[in-house]
Amino acid sequence: MTATPVLQLRQLARTHGSGPTEVHALRPLDLDVFPGELVAVMGPSGSGKSTLLTLAGGLDAPTSGTVTVEGTDLTTASRRDVAALRRRAIGYVFQDYNLIPALTAAENIALPRELDGIRAKKARTEALAALDEMGLADIADRFPDEISGGQQQRTAIARALVGDRRLVLADEPTGALDSETGESVLAVLRARCDAGAAGILVTHEPRFAAWADRVVFLRDGEVVDQTLRSDASALLTPGAAQ
Amino acid sequence: MSIRHGLLALLESGPRYGNQLRAEFESRTGATWPLNVGQVYTTLNRLERDGLVKPDGEDDSGHALYAITGDGRAELRVWYATPVDRQRPARDELAIKLAMAVGAPGVDISAVIQAQRAHTIGAMQDYTRLKAQALTTLEHPEAGSDDLAWLLVLEQLIFQAEAEARWLDHSEARLVRVARSAQARGDGTAPDRGRRGAARDAAR
Amino acid sequence: MSGPLSGRLTGWRAALRIARRDARRHKGRSALVLAMIALPIFGVAAADITIRSSDPSEEQQLQRDYGAADGRLSFPGVGRGERPVYQHPDGWDAVPVKKDRGGDAKQRDERPEPSDLKAVMPPGAHWLSDQRAATRVRTEHGVLRVHVRELKLADPMARGIATLLRGRYPKTTGEVAATQAFLDSSGLRVGSTLRPVEGGRAYRITGAYELPGSLNNKQLSALPGAMIRTDGSKPNDGVDRLGYLVSVPGAYTWDMVKETNTHGIVVTSKAVLLDPPPESEVPFYRKSPGMRPGAYEPTSDQALVLTIAVTVVGLAILEICLLAGPAFAVGARRQRRQLGLLGAQGGDRRHIRSVVLSGGLVIGVAAAVLGLALAIGATALARPLIEERLHTRFSSFDLPPLELAGIAGLAVLTGLLAALFPAIAAARQSVLSSLTGRRGVRRSSRVLPIVGFIAIGVGVAIAIAGATLTDRVEVVGIGSGIAELGLVALTPFLVGLFGRLGRILPLSPRLALRDAVRNRGRTAPAVAAVLAAVAGSVAVATYTASVDQQRRDEYAPSAPHGVVSVQMERGTGRTADRVGDAVEQNLKTTGRADVGHLSVGGVTCGGLSGGGSKCGGATVVVPEGNDCPLHYGGDEKLSAAERQKMMKSWQCNPPQTPHIPMMAGMDVLVGGTDVLKALGVQDRQAYAALERGHAVSFTQRYIKDDRITLAVFKKEQDYYNADDGDPDTTKKADRTIPLPAHHLRGQDEIYGVNVLLPPAAVTKAGLDHQNFGAYFRTDRLPTDAETQALSSAFNELNVNPILHVEKGYKSDSNNVLLALTLFAALVTLGAAGIATGLAQADAEPDLRTLAAVGAGTRVRRTLSGLQCGLIAAMGVVLGSIAGLIPAIGLRKAEERRKLADYAETLGNGWGGEPHIPIAIPWETLAGLLLVVPLGAALLAALVTRSRIPLLRRGEG
Repeated sequence: MTATPVLQLRQLARTHGSGPTEVHALRPLDLDVFPGELVAVMGPSGSGKSTLLTLAGGLDAPTSGTVTVEGTDLTTASRRDVAALRRRAIGYVFQDYNLIPALTAAENIALPRELDGIRAKKARTEALAALDEMGLADIADRFPDEISGGQQQRTAIARALVGDRRLVLADEPTGALDSETGESVLAVLRARCDAGAAGILVTHEPRFAAWADRVVFLRDGEVVDQTLRSDASALLTPGAAQ
Repeated sequence: MSIRHGLLALLESGPRYGNQLRAEFESRTGATWPLNVGQVYTTLNRLERDGLVKPDGEDDSGHALYAITGDGRAELRVWYATPVDRQRPARDELAIKLAMAVGAPGVDISAVIQAQRAHTIGAMQDYTRLKAQALTTLEHPEAGSDDLAWLLVLEQLIFQAEAEARWLDHSEARLVRVARSAQARGDGTAPDRGRRGAARDAAR
Repeated sequence: MSGPLSGRLTGWRAALRIARRDARRHKGRSALVLAMIALPIFGVAAADITIRSSDPSEEQQLQRDYGAADGRLSFPGVGRGERPVYQHPDGWDAVPVKKDRGGDAKQRDERPEPSDLKAVMPPGAHWLSDQRAATRVRTEHGVLRVHVRELKLADPMARGIATLLRGRYPKTTGEVAATQAFLDSSGLRVGSTLRPVEGGRAYRITGAYELPGSLNNKQLSALPGAMIRTDGSKPNDGVDRLGYLVSVPGAYTWDMVKETNTHGIVVTSKAVLLDPPPESEVPFYRKSPGMRPGAYEPTSDQALVLTIAVTVVGLAILEICLLAGPAFAVGARRQRRQLGLLGAQGGDRRHIRSVVLSGGLVIGVAAAVLGLALAIGATALARPLIEERLHTRFSSFDLPPLELAGIAGLAVLTGLLAALFPAIAAARQSVLSSLTGRRGVRRSSRVLPIVGFIAIGVGVAIAIAGATLTDRVEVVGIGSGIAELGLVALTPFLVGLFGRLGRILPLSPRLALRDAVRNRGRTAPAVAAVLAAVAGSVAVATYTASVDQQRRDEYAPSAPHGVVSVQMERGTGRTADRVGDAVEQNLKTTGRADVGHLSVGGVTCGGLSGGGSKCGGATVVVPEGNDCPLHYGGDEKLSAAERQKMMKSWQCNPPQTPHIPMMAGMDVLVGGTDVLKALGVQDRQAYAALERGHAVSFTQRYIKDDRITLAVFKKEQDYYNADDGDPDTTKKADRTIPLPAHHLRGQDEIYGVNVLLPPAAVTKAGLDHQNFGAYFRTDRLPTDAETQALSSAFNELNVNPILHVEKGYKSDSNNVLLALTLFAALVTLGAAGIATGLAQADAEPDLRTLAAVGAGTRVRRTLSGLQCGLIAAMGVVLGSIAGLIPAIGLRKAEERRKLADYAETLGNGWGGEPHIPIAIPWETLAGLLLVVPLGAALLAALVTRSRIPLLRRGEG
């Protein structure tokens, strides 16, 4: 991981309100996410997980600090440029209702590309390729309410990474799914990161966080700990368990 | 964990000799519970004594084979059908550690919890990585039931670790709440009460 | 990556796709908005198609006028044929080249015989005799005045003028063909025998035809010479331009026309009409420069018409936007999640705006297509009906592409405008709050109420100033317009005020009210839409009702309701008696009262037409002090207070004269007590007075000290010069006769009668009197058949008396009021319905909660009914108030203007104090205030499913 980070957060902080009602949603925080890396963010509700994600995607503006995505500082960019960056560099996956109900799966994936001015035909070709890669080729022309929750989330991941986008910001993407389906969604996310994307996964489920390369623990807007993935073979030494 | 029943289960699919049983057991459980051949033969002797297995000649290479008896099969059925007993929880070092840490002077119980949680989740990450590999292996056409068994064992480990992590989360939240209400009341009896509460939690 | 332009376009394409699918997903909402936009589009497009189709092109019109001929020859009557003339290119006027020598130039139309034409027509010309006249014929019911056209319609040259429906055109002079309109009206059929009143001949009706351009024309067609007499023996009245249809090889050019003019013949040439010659080549213009094209253009009100049209269209669009706007607004709100997702995927404000705007575009385009398709279909289907109504056949089924495209554009524009504000509002939402989907109460704008208050203040000030300081109606209109817009802006605030009522209400209405008030974003536009529609309707209704009231007040009946009056213009005495008998024979009457007039100088003198040089006349003198002192500049001598007082006095407010009064003696009628009875006089003393031989004065104007004074003139000229208000009348008169008189009291209406003299008094005064008419009392109004029979009887007598049946005041504004009420009710229902539907969609979670805590299933129904009723009620109450004010203001301004006019005309000695009543259309208001909200509530409750649907996934 010597490459430049896809996402770089520096002294990022967000405060809601002021005076006695001041709430520190996020205290100054540094975080780098490199290509190929999936970072899980864990913490109890109100610990600032989602705030971190909305700041990283430019949906909200920090009180202080900088957010740099693919070399562009979101905090100084214009609203229009941030929107453009979301089209080109950042993909979001939410807990549910990720897809626009009026568009088919393929059209949903093509949407950011189309918004970006790519010709509809080319955008569709890309979308179909992305779906195929996910093993979802047969649902390309179905509407979101005609496909399963897991398929919806996988479509959302495909959309998050369509085109040149390398950064996936996933906010409890498995929250509305059963364990097995959630697993398959995370496997897809993992695979995409292994293929070179960078991802942040906000979750409160340790089992899903365990898919990450790095787990960041947030509490009261602060990073309290991190784990790095160790060598798994260590576990297999006799007597390591129990 | 029962080696007895594990060996019976392996013998059900056909006569095997001791070392063969050890190898098969390890491949199914991914060497999570390593066995030595001595353990295997001691267990086989006990099984023979109880009439659950019987010697079944030798194979070409001269290994002494064992086969499951009718009683053995019946015992195995009973084992499969009986839920694993949870009446007497295993003695858990972590639970004891937390129970002791509550109220102990000079111990930051949150730090204890967080350290454990980071470790647990770290372990889960590793298990998950292995699981991802297993999943990949399982997709191969020549993947066998051993690979599936390994995956199940891995997942058992993951879920167990998850349960631990969740319990840690819960304990932490509980400690925070107790501390807050104590602060709100401003009375000094809180730690005591907290200790008892936390200890009960830990014991559960 | 493509350029920014193509990027914008592809963005729109995605937006359109979303909008299209969303419209399909939310069918109910889409259908409502679609209907709102499509309906006016349908109306306008259908009207446009009808107008364009029924309006023939110039060529088609010429074909209807001249058939296959090249033109028509006519004879201007400026002299006999040979005298050269200059003609207008259109052929409707001509002047002689040389000034007539005067004397007895024959003024009658004369036409050369066909043989004379041969010499003067261009070579190869054919002509076909064509003349028109009016005549009277007997019908099944009586006598009918019809047009006769003597033209051989079967001739190829006449093709296109008429369409044969049944039978055939006449072949002999004993046959006629008739238009369908004539047959329908006369009760005759093809094959019947037709008898003109004059001439004694009979004709067989051989065929029925119609004139494509005027289906209601009651016309007969016969061969030349069959019906029209030109020899002057007993001329059919109104012999029209006699002439010939003419056909020449090629076209009848202007040069040929000028050549023909040298023979005194005027030519109306199709070719010249289509392609008029330059002014320099028309010698006619040198003689009559005033006829030059452009010299006189009727001052067209085109600018005014345009202004009105633009205003109406603008208001309609505003109205639709107000109605459809909330639908899009709620659509956008329900799309919030979707729009948030769009933002998260990198859609910027422009993209989000375009998604909501696309909703408007999609609906607008659909409405345009639907409206136009319906209009074309309906017009095509209803074509025969429309043709009957318009009395003209469609010249073709015309679909003017540009105009229809414009109308379609209007639909699209409306859709876009309606979606504009929701689009801007949606784009302003932060992506984050859209995604988190917090429902929350949006704080309403603080600026809007302030703007509203200011607009109302300014508007009302302008309107009041307009009504009191000036008499400019426009100022009042502008002021009330501003005030009304202010009220619309204030609606959210006012809706908030309604919310205060909530505390005292039971659960369901309280819930409905709270919900409406909390969601002002959707309630206020709906209320505003109702407000605007109701205000407009109430304003027009109040104004119409007031004008109607004014007309009703000003209406002066000629006699009590149901009384038939008949009077002769000429011929009195025995003729009048016979006319009276004819009335009694033909109508069911219950009493007759003959009336006469004074005759001075012999029994034949007097009456409406006078009697001749030997006759004189008599009039009643207005005694001193009974005349209005303000007249004839008298007001200058009076102080302002006196003037004010006098303006209200009886002297200056003479009773209204009915449209058809018993006129003959101008101010004196001669008759007995039966006249009093016929006029419904209750005053017993009046009957007694008349029996005693005293006069009865219906007004105070002529009576002084229980006396009236007749001024008798021996010379008619003096009589005519006498003015009843002139104080010198008595001095100029040859003789004055004072008569004891009774002033009739307690009478609301005097039916235009001033003084009634008993015959005995007339004789005693040494004067003569003649009957000239009569009043007849009836039990019921005569039927049409009875009146036709009566006119037939009059015809037998060879008289043409004025017959009047008093039917009382007929209001023509009832339909207007009804239409307005219906319109306002419809808009109210629409607006309230939309808002309720949206409220329902919004309130789904609340309803689920309600059901969860154990509310009955009826709650949902009750709730939506109340919500709908509430919105309708708020809008209707506010709208009624808002509508009454401008109407009253307008009336006040009108009153001021009339008063100013009055002050001016008083000096000229005429005019009464203006009466500008303000009538509140209570029925309309009651309908709007009570029935409409109730209806809206019931309707909403009825169409609401009481079952609460399960939560559906994917509802953005």
